[in-house]
Amino acid sequence: MYAPGVNYFGSRTIITREPEYFAPPVNTYARLGRAVLLLLRNTGRALRMLGEAVANVHYMLSRQNRADLRQQMFVGGIKSLGVITVVALFTGMILALQTGLELRRFGQEVNIGTAVTVVLLREMGPFMTGLIIAASVGSAIAAQMGTMVISEEIAALEIMSINPVRFLVMPRLVALTLMMPFLTIYTDAVGIFGGAIVGSTQLNVSFTAYFDNCTRFAENKDLYVGLFKAMVFGVIIVTVACHQGFGAAEGAVGVGRATRRTVIISFLIILMMGYFITRLFYK
Amino acid sequence: MIRMEQVSKRLGGRVVLDGVELKIEPGETFFIVGTSGAGKSVMLKHMIRLLTPDSGRVWIGEDCISEARGRRLEQIRARFGVLFQSGALLAWLSAGDNVGLPLRQRTNDSDADIDRLAAAKLALVGLADAFDKLPAELSGGMRKRVGLARAIITQPEIVLYDEPTSGLDPVTARTIDALIDSLRQSLGITSVVVTHDLHSALAIGTRIAMLDGGQIVAVGTPAEFVRSTNAKVQQFLEAQFITKHGNWEKAVAT
Repeated sequence: MYAPGVNYFGSRTIITREPEYFAPPVNTYARLGRAVLLLLRNTGRALRMLGEAVANVHYMLSRQNRADLRQQMFVGGIKSLGVITVVALFTGMILALQTGLELRRFGQEVNIGTAVTVVLLREMGPFMTGLIIAASVGSAIAAQMGTMVISEEIAALEIMSINPVRFLVMPRLVALTLMMPFLTIYTDAVGIFGGAIVGSTQLNVSFTAYFDNCTRFAENKDLYVGLFKAMVFGVIIVTVACHQGFGAAEGAVGVGRATRRTVIISFLIILMMGYFITRLFYK
Repeated sequence: MIRMEQVSKRLGGRVVLDGVELKIEPGETFFIVGTSGAGKSVMLKHMIRLLTPDSGRVWIGEDCISEARGRRLEQIRARFGVLFQSGALLAWLSAGDNVGLPLRQRTNDSDADIDRLAAAKLALVGLADAFDKLPAELSGGMRKRVGLARAIITQPEIVLYDEPTSGLDPVTARTIDALIDSLRQSLGITSVVVTHDLHSALAIGTRIAMLDGGQIVAVGTPAEFVRSTNAKVQQFLEAQFITKHGNWEKAVAT
């Protein structure tokens, strides 16, 4: 029996909005004021959408959502491994080379394992993974949502009483929040291995010495904080991407704009949030 | 069934609807025609509350949809099926899954039952063999027919059609007309159709309204519409080679 009002899990967040028109600002102050107000309003809308997605998380294994969740985990996780491998490998190699060359001046190049591991676990692992996923998966999500808005698919969902936040946002949120820590562990591992290659081939640090050094000074806390950061970055990417995509207007140009904004805004928030989380755990 | 009371709407500083009064009876196939930008789609979106009037009210039976929110709005919307201009099919789902989507998302019916019903609806619109095809593998006309199958799978009382025959060849357009007409005759569905295609309106419409300058300038049965003395109506008819002195019934039939 199709009776949405009886089995209500409707959206508190209206996705299909009426078109907005603004008169040109009369002066610079008006332009600035409007920009601030729009920033606050859009932030509020994005957080409200995130809150509703979180409130729907318990549906993630329901018949309606599990297929999409599986698909999003595949897209956000497995399909990103190629680019992550290359970026992580060279990040580890660069880190090892730069620190190794400096440490060699003091005869301490054997310690590159520690430097590479701690930097990757604490900062570079989650940060690089966040940037790669924001640029690849985040932009793709924004483009998909934007196209769905333009082609009236979101409106069609809402009219069919299918909550777009539960149907589209929640599976992506869960998938990326779960996959980001695994991707970060993978980034860390590949990066550390890249450092070992450089250590072995250019700095005369054997694999044994390198890996012995890796585990000696790195703490569990470094890993856990890094993984926590990765989860937060996953939430940021999906929230920004879906919010920007849902706000797309004016056809293909609007979709392009939403995609570009997603990458820029995600980068900025990841960078700032990375600092604050570090500050929170390392005083 | 649908009542618009003094509905006005401005978009981007322009008056799109200006005090529109309209009443659509149950079981009608009501056509709204007009030039591009006349506000036809805006009017349709008010009926399903994708837009909210600046002033005035829209009633669906005894329910005021223009003021409904949350659960109440969902209950009213559940009485509708909508065929969007592009079909609005989800690109990653097959035609069958698109048709079954509202049931799969909102009911506890088994997958087998939903698939069976979706297949039946696809057969009804002449696409029995398209169940597993993705929207990208379908032509424009086929996508619209899949959209129509999805719109009626929930057994709505009212189906709204936004330009159902635009961009289609005349043969496919007449097929869509026949489907809309058969829904009225077999299921008693009330249909509201926004179109430029007067041939469709005259062939299967029970009444036709012409929108111009944000107001309804003429409304009546196909015969009354063709004989309207309103200059805008006559201009619109002549542009499609239909004159009040001509044999339009024959023109439509052919």
